[in-house]
Amino acid sequence: MRAEDGAVISGVGQSAIGRQLDRSGMQLTLDAIEAAVTDAGLELGDIDGLAMFPGGGAANLPGYANGNLYEVQDALALTTTWRQGQVEGMSLPFYGPAMAVATGQARHVVIWRTVKEGSAARRAGGRPAYGSTKPVAEGPLAWLLPIGALSPVVQVAPFATRYMHEFGATREQLGWIPVTQRAHAGRNPDAVYRDPLTLDDYLAARTISTPMCLYDCDVPVDGATAIVVSATETAADLRAPVRIDAMAGVIDGRPSWDQWEDMARVGHATARALWDRTTLRPADVDVAQLYDGFTIEVVWWLEAMGFCPVGEAGAFVEGGHRIGLDGELPLNTWGGQLSGGRLHAAFGHTAEAVRQLRGEAGDRQVAGAEVAAVTNVGGYEAGAALLTRL
Amino acid sequence: MTGIPPAVTEESEAFWAGAAEGRLVVERCTSCGARQFPARGMCRTCRSRATEPFEITGTGTVYSFTENHQRWRPDLEVPFTIVLVEFAGHPGVRVAGRLRGGPAAIGAPVEIGFEPGPEGVAVPSFVVA
Repeated sequence: MRAEDGAVISGVGQSAIGRQLDRSGMQLTLDAIEAAVTDAGLELGDIDGLAMFPGGGAANLPGYANGNLYEVQDALALTTTWRQGQVEGMSLPFYGPAMAVATGQARHVVIWRTVKEGSAARRAGGRPAYGSTKPVAEGPLAWLLPIGALSPVVQVAPFATRYMHEFGATREQLGWIPVTQRAHAGRNPDAVYRDPLTLDDYLAARTISTPMCLYDCDVPVDGATAIVVSATETAADLRAPVRIDAMAGVIDGRPSWDQWEDMARVGHATARALWDRTTLRPADVDVAQLYDGFTIEVVWWLEAMGFCPVGEAGAFVEGGHRIGLDGELPLNTWGGQLSGGRLHAAFGHTAEAVRQLRGEAGDRQVAGAEVAAVTNVGGYEAGAALLTRL
Repeated sequence: MTGIPPAVTEESEAFWAGAAEGRLVVERCTSCGARQFPARGMCRTCRSRATEPFEITGTGTVYSFTENHQRWRPDLEVPFTIVLVEFAGHPGVRVAGRLRGGPAAIGAPVEIGFEPGPEGVAVPSFVVA
């Protein structure tokens, strides 16, 4: 049995999203859960499974983890038949919940991701150092934080340097990713940055860690996203469920940023596993919500998923025509994390994919969208899914 | 230079002790001879548990680099360069560190070195050859 056949995404909901919101992580979480459950056509009492990302205590950054699982369950006054302390946010957040509902462990699972990183950055007087919630650097970070590689951007940057060196991609090409996504954000009332961004703005922005500038990096925000995953057999009770056609999360290579062997194959094993689980082909994808913690991750996903050949993503995005709303592969139609906010772990990407497939994406709707690709992270961790109309 | 000091574990103890003496210590499998870093207490090539500390000497090669401009902490001096360095004859070993003594370039040779890091811990700091 395929978990994909036994599970649907029935609801998505979000709190307000902003650079800094005067509202607690707990209240943002409850806002998103209420919205998602209503969106599914369900009531809170129908929910019998809960999971979040990350689990308790897993935060490396101030503001990273909010909406404590125990407190949320208590607030909702729910009995659960399935619960996961930490949903696998780095592979694909609805992977485990889909297996739970497909195997009858629960009927309707709500999962959430709540960030207060915008407020945390303001308190710190700037984006805080990764690992700064702990006195010492542990695990893979023990080799990076002591030398001053204090942010994911610094850890990813050498691989962007290497990619551009190997394939000749340029900043003038990569800049079309944030520029195009900003145009999409202009049509999304919930995006945090909506004013037009030009390629000149991109090229003139301050350098964070070469070759990455400010606009290559996603935006720390406050906000919560909730997703309801339901058993397919409950479809008649649901307002507008979306089908999970295929999902995969293969972790190959050495799982750390300093040891990962080859940037030319980021996400490739995951994408191969994904296409092995479906009869759909890359050309069938109508909208692509590709993880964009950094622009270079979009580059890697475009190639891994087969939307363009390896080494050619720079040329693919250049000019923005192919990745625009009326292009062959509309990309991150909500603005992505680069303009819509770092909602993290593909929660924002999944919410947008569901809205596009339902035709509920407002001014940024891609006409007739029937197949959406969602990818998560991009590096030594990688998850991907294809969602379709039911 | 500043950062966050490492949590020293049983597996990483030999590396940090070597670093304090200016030596680059990785791990060698006594069964198959493979070298690896970081130390795991299990050979990633043959899965033997028989491993020992092993010092690498000589020149490394820059796999890639970044020049960090963002001041992530108030006391962080910027800019500085981070390099990923590999060693001919030691496949499986790549070490991240700072770079001193010139601009970084992919493929450039670098000498092994260290500098005082957070809380005085010696951290890798390669030198342009």
